[in-house]
Amino acid sequence: MTTTLSVLIVDDDPALLQALPQALRLRMGGVTVETAESAAAALERIAVQDYDAIVTDIKMPGMDGLALLAEIRTRRPDTPTLIITGHGENELVVRALRGGACDFIQKPIDRGYFVAALYRAIWAHVQNRKAKDRQLALESCAEELERIVQKLEGEPRAVPGRAES
Amino acid sequence: MPETATQERQAAVADPGAAVTAEQRLRAHVETLERRLRKRDDQRRAMLHIMGDLSEFNKRLANQRKAMLHVLADYEQDRRRLARQTERLDSSRRALLHILQDSHQDKLRLEASRKAMIHIMGDLRETTAEMQRREQELRDKQEQLVQAGKLATLGELTTGVAHELNNPLNNIGLFVGNAVDLIELAVTEKGQIVRELGHAMQQVSKATEIISHLRTFGRAAPVSREPISLRQVIERALSLMREQLRLREIEVTVDLGPEEPVVLGNAIQLEQVFINLLTNARDAVAEAPRKAIRILGSTGSGAVEVSLADSGHGIPPGLERRIFDPFFTTKEVGKGTGLGLSITYGIINEHGGTISVVSPPGEGATFLIHLPLAPAETEETSR
Repeated sequence: MTTTLSVLIVDDDPALLQALPQALRLRMGGVTVETAESAAAALERIAVQDYDAIVTDIKMPGMDGLALLAEIRTRRPDTPTLIITGHGENELVVRALRGGACDFIQKPIDRGYFVAALYRAIWAHVQNRKAKDRQLALESCAEELERIVQKLEGEPRAVPGRAES
Repeated sequence: MPETATQERQAAVADPGAAVTAEQRLRAHVETLERRLRKRDDQRRAMLHIMGDLSEFNKRLANQRKAMLHVLADYEQDRRRLARQTERLDSSRRALLHILQDSHQDKLRLEASRKAMIHIMGDLRETTAEMQRREQELRDKQEQLVQAGKLATLGELTTGVAHELNNPLNNIGLFVGNAVDLIELAVTEKGQIVRELGHAMQQVSKATEIISHLRTFGRAAPVSREPISLRQVIERALSLMREQLRLREIEVTVDLGPEEPVVLGNAIQLEQVFINLLTNARDAVAEAPRKAIRILGSTGSGAVEVSLADSGHGIPPGLERRIFDPFFTTKEVGKGTGLGLSITYGIINEHGGTISVVSPPGEGATFLIHLPLAPAETEETSR
């Protein structure tokens, strides 16, 4: 996990954009929180910066949270995205999860749950990246091995006795 | 006398002395005769005068007779004229008699009609009482319907309102949580904590405003009539709908002109009218490529005209008449009660106004509301 995390919060309610970043700053030491008042503004931001996580409200005028999620999945497929939904909007939650959201947070937001979910998402993201890195490393190792095997097969029983040892 | 004279002359001859006496006597006779002659002469002259006068008089009489004849001719003419007039008068009198007879018959007929009228009036009075009773019943029912409609509107608004209330509540939780965190972290700077709590207070008043508005709207208050600003009514209706309209990206423009139309009515009922129309317009533009609602107002002499137009697909031809019927809806079962527009119609009607809809093919629907303005003196007292 990097030492300074950066998070983008997208919501059309200016009061929430005041309250939530402050909560994150208080609960997650050393986090950088940026805000966007609309999905369009958020897309401008993610074009220039790779955030560790993006949190977006689902109901917004213009492009809503689901559409933004789809955009993020194509532009920044690795960035974990969390969705804020109203209480009891289960259908929207399912659609968001199917659309690739890594978690959802219901309003009214429980700060402890929110911070935990955010950490989990970022941690999963980091683990994911690590796993991918390792997989890449493993794949290159496997390729290397295959090459070696082919090379060995190309030398027909040069030292037959060694194989038996 | 001649005998006497002869006798005297005989006597005079016989007696000379006696002759002298006889002469004297004769002379006296002559004188008397002369005197008489002169007298007669005078009388004759007088007679002649009289005769002349008489002839003059006669002439004058002849003239007067002629004049008299003229007068008589005139009189004859007058008499004839009079006779003619008398004839005319007679015919007029006969005509008048006829007329009098007719009028008498008319009077009889009128009397009969009057009696019939009294009967009808009695019937009418009964009918009117019945009508008034029915009308009161209808008004009661209408009031109940309005209340039911209000609650239905509230129900339809609930989702939007829940969202609207959820936001400030959520923000309050976050701001207060931040304050708690700051205190727990033993932050010594009070300003930061106060700022968080201040933000929380702002959100509390926002939520309170929404709730109190809903409560006023849902209350079954007696229907009062007071001067109210139509602009305020429209703004309050919009404030309840704002979140829903904003989330659906429906562009709302309001232009009521420079005047401040004040109508005599019930603010909550009129607010309901606009909520119903806005709800309709919201659903009408749901699938439209351009989503817009335009509210225009113009104040004329004694009345205000408000139009609410949407950019939806309009009303299918033939349905404009039925659209104000109760329980008529084009929405899916469970989506609309079909009461909104009928209640709207009832409310506008009760306010002495009219509502109509126009929907030219290929354009959205436009509802036209015409409401009488409050009388000037009422308006004065309200200020």
